[in-house]
Amino acid sequence: MKSIVFLLVAVFALNAMETVNITGEKTAVNPVGTVTSETKECKSDNCNTVIHITSTPSKKVTVEEKSIEKPATLAPNRDIVITVTGEGVAPINTTSPAQAYALAKRAAIADAYRLLAEKVMGVNVEGQDLIKNMMVKRSTVRTQVYALVKNANIVETTFRDGLCEVEMEIRLSYKDFANR
Amino acid sequence: MADEYLISYEIVSKDAMLSYEKLLVSKSMTKCHGKPYKKSLYLAYREDQKLSSIIKQNFDEFFDYIKQIGLDVKYKSKTKNYVNSSYVRLVLHTTCFKVDFNDSFVKITAVKK
Repeated sequence: MKSIVFLLVAVFALNAMETVNITGEKTAVNPVGTVTSETKECKSDNCNTVIHITSTPSKKVTVEEKSIEKPATLAPNRDIVITVTGEGVAPINTTSPAQAYALAKRAAIADAYRLLAEKVMGVNVEGQDLIKNMMVKRSTVRTQVYALVKNANIVETTFRDGLCEVEMEIRLSYKDFANR
Repeated sequence: MADEYLISYEIVSKDAMLSYEKLLVSKSMTKCHGKPYKKSLYLAYREDQKLSSIIKQNFDEFFDYIKQIGLDVKYKSKTKNYVNSSYVRLVLHTTCFKVDFNDSFVKITAVKK
């Protein structure tokens, strides 16, 4: 009888036990082993704390806390500045370093425009996998972006070891989108 | 009386490397309709210099100006069996510009459609 009572106490103690590892990940033993998910607001205005609880076959539950920044939203009295860095490479067969710089800069500008368009307008993504005899024969991912970008500014240009980096920013205001 | 020019510009970059660039400048055969932009671009020039060569000489200033008009971005990327290739095309569609040639500078103003 005593041994049964001791066993029950041990089971309850195990259920209540919770450990926290170095990465801040909480691990607890859940008697039920259900999968739950919870989202709660944190103290600062611009973030949410999302808590995901997942069960494992051995009834161990992993609690993971992450702070996620809310995406900035346009408001009549608030502008958003988006900054990107485009990269371009100089071709091998250039006649002078100046030409290499000019060509790499053009490519970097085009890349920066693309990044801005991606951030503001979004990306079309299409994926296709061909599987034959239970093996992946071909895996293809296509992405596309179309946009008209106005009033983007080049903030800084750097050129090092054949790689040109162009930092570009765009200011989005509410009135730009209000009449759409 | 300002001259009217049609200008278009296009750059194509493949795998982060410039593969193609085209600047087309021609006098407009018909009158442009629309309202000129408030801002104008002023570029220095020597006599008998063509507009296309003036723009090429001062390309950074010209590019800063056309950014305000708006550039079309077309981007395609393909990742096949984990090997990526990309294509970016940046275009200023054919736009009318009013061009005033003065003694030592030229005034360029884009016309809104």
